Amino acid sequence: MSISKAAAIVGAAEANEIGYPDEPRTSLQLHIEAIKNVSDYTGIPISAIEGVFSTAWSSDLAEHLGLHPKYIDTTAVGGCSFEMHVHHALCAIYAGVIDVALVSHGENGWSQRRVGREGGPSYPAHRDAPGVQMTIPYGFSGPPSQYAHAMVRHNHDFGTTPEDFAHVSVVTREWAMKNPRAVMFNDETHEFGGPITIDDVNNSRLITWPLTMLHCCLQTDHGGAVLIARPEIARDLKTNPVWIAGAGESMSHSTILETDDFTATSAALSAKSAYEMAGLGPKDMESAMIYDSFTVTAAITAEMLGLAPRGDGYKLWKDGTAAPGGKLPINTNGGGLSFNHSGMYGMHLLVEAYRQLSGTAEDGINGIKGKQTNARTCVVNGTGGLLSTTGTLVLTSD
Amino acid sequence: MPGKKPLPQPSPLTRVFWEGTSEGKLMLPKCNACNRIHWYPRYICPHCHSMDLTWVEGSGEGTLHTFAVQHRAFGGWAEEAPYVTAYIDLKEGDRMATVLRGVDPTKPESIKIGTPVKVEFEEMDDGLFVPFWRVEDAA
Ligand SMILES: [Zn+2]
Repeated sequence: MSISKAAAIVGAAEANEIGYPDEPRTSLQLHIEAIKNVSDYTGIPISAIEGVFSTAWSSDLAEHLGLHPKYIDTTAVGGCSFEMHVHHALCAIYAGVIDVALVSHGENGWSQRRVGREGGPSYPAHRDAPGVQMTIPYGFSGPPSQYAHAMVRHNHDFGTTPEDFAHVSVVTREWAMKNPRAVMFNDETHEFGGPITIDDVNNSRLITWPLTMLHCCLQTDHGGAVLIARPEIARDLKTNPVWIAGAGESMSHSTILETDDFTATSAALSAKSAYEMAGLGPKDMESAMIYDSFTVTAAITAEMLGLAPRGDGYKLWKDGTAAPGGKLPINTNGGGLSFNHSGMYGMHLLVEAYRQLSGTAEDGINGIKGKQTNARTCVVNGTGGLLSTTGTLVLTSD
Repeated sequence: MPGKKPLPQPSPLTRVFWEGTSEGKLMLPKCNACNRIHWYPRYICPHCHSMDLTWVEGSGEGTLHTFAVQHRAFGGWAEEAPYVTAYIDLKEGDRMATVLRGVDPTKPESIKIGTPVKVEFEEMDDGLFVPFWRVEDAA
């Protein structure tokens, strides 16, 4: 048996309340709710989980659940960690070490300001790490302060403009308007929710030139979990399996100072591995879930995944290819830009890819009419750190 | 009250660099095996994996690789916003981060990638000298 499709994602679920909950949530709570929900959804008891894959949380989660797992993975390299966890779970199942794997995420990107996180990884400054020493004196703040440099260089190299990238934000909002769980679903879920225009993106508050607020993702609460099982188990469940046809991961750098090319990411490498394992290529992809921390992240990544020529990633959104009804639907949950973004968005990609390929994207709660696509293949790409690490999956339905 | 600007904590690996800045020198790590410069400082050459490394004084010249204008800033930087952050291609090779001087943050369109820049040093809190890069006035 080949490693391609040696395991399937057999279910995906989210925490009960995500977004900006009235009652603050903790990260641990978001994890546990999602795990309970995916167990109920698949019918796989929590006690049957043999491998726990999460960021630095894995041992805390296993303890909280009373598990004694055979396989513990704490890969924590930013928002793409969860795509890598799926890759690692596939390998562990293919190797015969485990039969059932849990990949879990919980992060109270919003509520942590009020109640803390209740454990798990944070991002220590490492003020004495040599790469950090050489960037810390220069007034960079959060991720927008760095990703803006990528857009400026892309504009220079390819003749693009910030307005070109604004189309990513506008089209992604169209998808969010089909997802009642999206923060920006309408003007009742958020004062700035509902439809937006290119002018709205251009005229929103300047964060780091040329990135305005609507070029940047949200910061909300989100928890999600998926269960992965070997084919014999997957075929016996009440849920539809989504096959892990290909998986790959890579990195270009850890410290952004080490970026060779501000207009590229290692997704070119991780996608090559994933496509090769799957025996499929970009032209076979009927949908895509792409980490959109910023409009520029999504557009550059589309180029890296081979979905558009170099420099032209934004055109997928501008010409409607990625939009509802388009030939290659992208980020059908409303993306990190308009659905939710907890801080490490990779799990949100997995949940939506599962929903689309299992035919459950339009359940009324997580999607209304017009959200379910006909796609039977999906390329999923997470980006972690500051354009640093990437994990790519090629998923297929029966 | 404005906070302090964050500063690095020099370590054994970077001590020569931070001693150099206090004397107005931009010290760069160089590999004796492949003769290439690398930035940031390392215990091993990232190009050829030799551990035979030395320090050389850099020219302090470079060109602008890319930049952005920070409108939202915190702590000691808050009152300076907007200001221009940038990455500089060193004449000797590899790339440094900086806050770019000699440019107008309110006119980002006037800032050109590829523009020549020169290093200067500023004494910060705790007596640490930090290198910054400046676009020289067109003569
Ligand atoms: Zn060398």
